Amino acid sequence: MRLGMVRGHLTLTPAVASFHGRTLAIVEPVTMENLRAGNGQGGGKALIAVDELGAATGQMVAFTEGREASNPFWPTPVPVDAYLALIVDTADVRP
Amino acid sequence: MFLARIEGTVVATAKHPTLDGCRFLVARRLEADGTAAVEPNVVVDWMGAAYGETVMVSTDGDIAREKLGNNTPARMVVVGLVDAVQQPAAGSAA
Repeated sequence: MRLGMVRGHLTLTPAVASFHGRTLAIVEPVTMENLRAGNGQGGGKALIAVDELGAATGQMVAFTEGREASNPFWPTPVPVDAYLALIVDTADVRP
Repeated sequence: MFLARIEGTVVATAKHPTLDGCRFLVARRLEADGTAAVEPNVVVDWMGAAYGETVMVSTDGDIAREKLGNNTPARMVVVGLVDAVQQPAAGSAA
């Protein structure tokens, strides 16, 4: 998983059936430098992830990428390649 | 699989239900020359890795699925703690 800051949400109309009713979050990956600084900045290339946790804009999350991102929908095959797995309360990184 | 250095911990109350009780660590992938990746990864740890330790991480979710069920989004798992890396010095004959 990578860490990311939620920058917003989006809706799709129309969309393939797998995405009907899904919440999609825009996530900006967080670099180690920004994580250490705790400045709320990201620094990575933004991507879209399926959000079933209800993450709010500005919250830090951890998201899974690749085949494992579609595991929560198993055994239904879905074209999901990023999935919000955690809403981060605290990330304790030492200097 | 790759080597990573443990640089912290992550606490998350809201998470996918299959991840309840898992230990999450902030790990930074290491290159062959020892430099660390710009973006950290969050890995699941059942080995008890400590801060500063070098671990081997597998990006295959099979271990996680075996332990947490087929629905788990967990992917990166600590599969071992590194106690020695043999690497000839740069420039020496291979």
